Order: sequence, then C-alpha cells, then structure tokens
Amino acid sequence: MRYKKIVTDFFILMALTTNISFITSPNPYELVITVATNLAATILKIGEGRVLSTEMLASSLVADLHLIPALFLFFADDPQEAIGLAQGALAANIISVIISIIETILSAFTEEE
Amino acid sequence: MPRLKARIRRKLRRKREPRLIEVYEKRLIEALKVFRIPLFMLHTALTVGTIGYMLLSGGDFINSFYMTVITIGTIGYGEVVAGSDTLVGRVFTSFLALMGIGVFTTSVTVIVRIFFKEDIINLYRAIKMLREIENLEGHYIICGYDKTSAWLAGTLRKRGIAFVVVESNPEALKYLQEHNIKYFIIEEPYKRSVLVSAGIKRASGMIVNLGEDTKNIAVIVTARLLRPSRDDFYIYSFASTDGTAEKLEELGANKAFVPSKLLATRIAAYIFHTGSAFISDLFDRIAFGEETDIDILELRVEPGSPLIGRKLKDIDLRRALKVTIIAIRKPDGYLDVTVSGETTIEEEDTLIIFGQPRNLRRAQRILLEETHRLTEGKL
Repeated sequence: MRYKKIVTDFFILMALTTNISFITSPNPYELVITVATNLAATILKIGEGRVLSTEMLASSLVADLHLIPALFLFFADDPQEAIGLAQGALAANIISVIISIIETILSAFTEEE
Repeated sequence: MPRLKARIRRKLRRKREPRLIEVYEKRLIEALKVFRIPLFMLHTALTVGTIGYMLLSGGDFINSFYMTVITIGTIGYGEVVAGSDTLVGRVFTSFLALMGIGVFTTSVTVIVRIFFKEDIINLYRAIKMLREIENLEGHYIICGYDKTSAWLAGTLRKRGIAFVVVESNPEALKYLQEHNIKYFIIEEPYKRSVLVSAGIKRASGMIVNLGEDTKNIAVIVTARLLRPSRDDFYIYSFASTDGTAEKLEELGANKAFVPSKLLATRIAAYIFHTGSAFISDLFDRIAFGEETDIDILELRVEPGSPLIGRKLKDIDLRRALKVTIIAIRKPDGYLDVTVSGETTIEEEDTLIIFGQPRNLRRAQRILLEETHRLTEGKL
C-alpha cells in the first residue's frame, strides 16, 4: 500500500464529490471546501513523474481555474454563474478521476512485469 | 481483452534509452516536487483559517479569507470579520496566529529558496538549449572544452558554423558562459544519449579533444556506431602519439592530430620560409582557416560532370564564377601546379580552387548541381 497514493487519490476523489455536492445544493461552505480540496489535489500532483501525470495536473488546473472565479462570483451575488463554472470544473474532475484509474491500471501492469 | 492486455504489456516492456531532454525534464519535475510540502502547509493554514472565520461570521468568505491572510501574514490590521471579536473568535485567532505565522514564514522562505536554487534555473536553461539543438543541422560537435577547443570554437563562430560543445566537467560551465558558447551539454560525451542529444545524426562532423586517448577512443567508437559513414560524418581527434593517432584513425576517426607535432611542423614552416614570411603566413592562415577573405576548395570531378574534357580557358571559371583553378590533383596523387588555359580537365581529377569563400561556395553548388542534373538526365 502506498500512502502517498492514498493521500493523492483521496483529494482527487474529494474534489469530485464536493464539486457534485455544491452543484446539487449550492452553499458557501461547500464551495470553499471544493476549492480547497481541488487546490490540495493540484499541489499533490506537482512533480509526479508518472505516465499520465501531465494530463492529471492539466485537468486539475482546469478545475481550479473554474472554481476560483466561481468562488468570487458566488460571493459577488452571481450564484448562477458560479454554479455554471462549477459544472465546468466537474467535467475536469471526472476526467481527472478517469486518468487516475487508467494510471493505476497501467502501473499495475508495469509492476507485474 | 487478453489481446489488449498483451499489447499493453508489450508496449510497456519495450524499453528504450531515454533522451537527454527527457532525463532533464524528469529531473526538473523531481526538483519541483520539493514545492509540494511548503505549498500544502500554506494551503492548509489558509483553508483552516478561512473556514474557521466563515463559521464565526456566518459565511462571509471574502472577509474571512482577508482576515486569515492578514493574521498569518503578520499584518494584523484588526478584527475585520464579524464574530472575530468574540471570545471564541479570539481563541481561534490566537491558535491560527500561533500555527499560521510559523507555517507562512517557513513556506514562503522555502518556496523562494527553492525557486532561486541554481539547479532549477540551470535545468530549465539546459532543457531550452537541448530544444534549440534539436533544430540544428550540419553543425559540429566539440567534445571536451579546453584552451584548444576555445580557440576552435572562436574560429568556427567567425565562419558562422554552428557547433555544440559537450564537456563532462561541470566546472567548465563558467568558462562556456564566459566565452558566450551558445550550445553546450554538461554530460559525459561517450554516452550514446548525449551524442544523440547533441544532434550527431544531423551533424557534419565532430572534434574529439578529451585530453586522454582512452576517453577519445570511447567517444569515437560510440560516434561511429551512430554515424558509420566516414564520408558523411567527419571525426577529427587529438592523439598523444603517432601510434595512437593511427589507432584512432583505424577505429573511426577521419584524421587524428598530435598537437605537439602539429605545432612543431607549423613553426618549422616559418623557419623554412623566413624570406617570404607574408606568403607563407598567408597560405598558412588559409590552410588553417584563419583567413576569412580567401579560401581554398578541393572539388572532385565526378563521372558525368560537364567539366570533363573541357579546357580551362573554355570554362573560364575566373570570369564566370570569380574563382581560380590554381592546381589539379590527378587520381594517382600527382599535383599539377602548372595549369594553364590549355589544361584539359579529366574525370576523377580534383580541382584546387582559390577565391573568396562566398564565390567558392557558389561555384561548388553550381558545379555539383550541374553534374547532378546531367547524370539524372542520362539515367
């Protein structure tokens, strides 16, 4: 068991789940936690020298660039636009999770070798 | 599914030697990894502070974030968030300040120190340089950087010939930067990946000057494995003795020089021509490529060349291309230095042409193109 992978995967999944929960029931705390987990996932992906790490980092950055403006828009009385941006971030987070799964499978093959 | 699995396995198994640029990129990524802990610490402090103040103020994000920043950033303008002036608020601020200030200052210091660390900047520069080297073509590779290589680099630069220096000693870096060497790689030159990154597959030639015969041999052998043809890729090497020079030439060098012998021969040439110092110096400079206004070119008369069977006065290269044929070397090695207008050019002759470099290059291009055109036409 790799503890580093547990922490990274935890934040990747947490970013996705909090993102969904914010879209289904928008509230300020959910949004702040979503942004925080997304940023944590991005930081943990920096410097990962794995097969699809660049794609993972890129998708995470996309999610951040959607959520940070969403955060400011939400508190600047435009929650509708914030939810729209969060939906965009959701797409990036789903891709991030898919890439993470693919990478896990690929690394399993390499380990078998 | 099993077929797909097998294919993926095969692909993963197929290991290839990583390119130098990939190795450097990996090293840069590894170096960036150290940013993670300070960034994560800073991020956690900001998140905890913001959410804490939001809970106290009933969801006021902007002010909560601002309050966290001014608290952990030791600015402390005051209690700007509703609820922070209560008992709970002050306890929370105290804890946040105690933990957050340490985290903030440590993280910022570490991030700044890492960012300005020489390694990261040098790695970034090296990657950029390798990318530029990938675009070079017809260049030369100089292996080993000492005083001789520095002179050589200066001469090549004067002639506008691109070159890449490969040197294993990291201490040479400051000299390379001082001498404004545009492209250099600080790696062991006998490594295949290093030579490939120096663009050996697109280069015209290589100069091996590593100070030790054994090292020179290792580089020449590796280079010849990558570029087997002696006609397409020239390797010039330095050797310590005549015997070693012979061995290096057998192993793959087009020409191996013994520096002390070369120097002695050149001084001797001056001694022998003391009466005509200017001319011998001029020829010397031309031969050694120091005279940039005049040059000598050898041009072999290939089968099918339009020059075959023609007299020098008929082709009149002096007027047509502004170059002069000063001698003709016959296939048996005899050098005819008494050429006149009546001299006829024969197949396999080598014309020794004298003129300005620009005109020589033009003449070479035109004559080669003409030969090529005629030969193709016959076919």
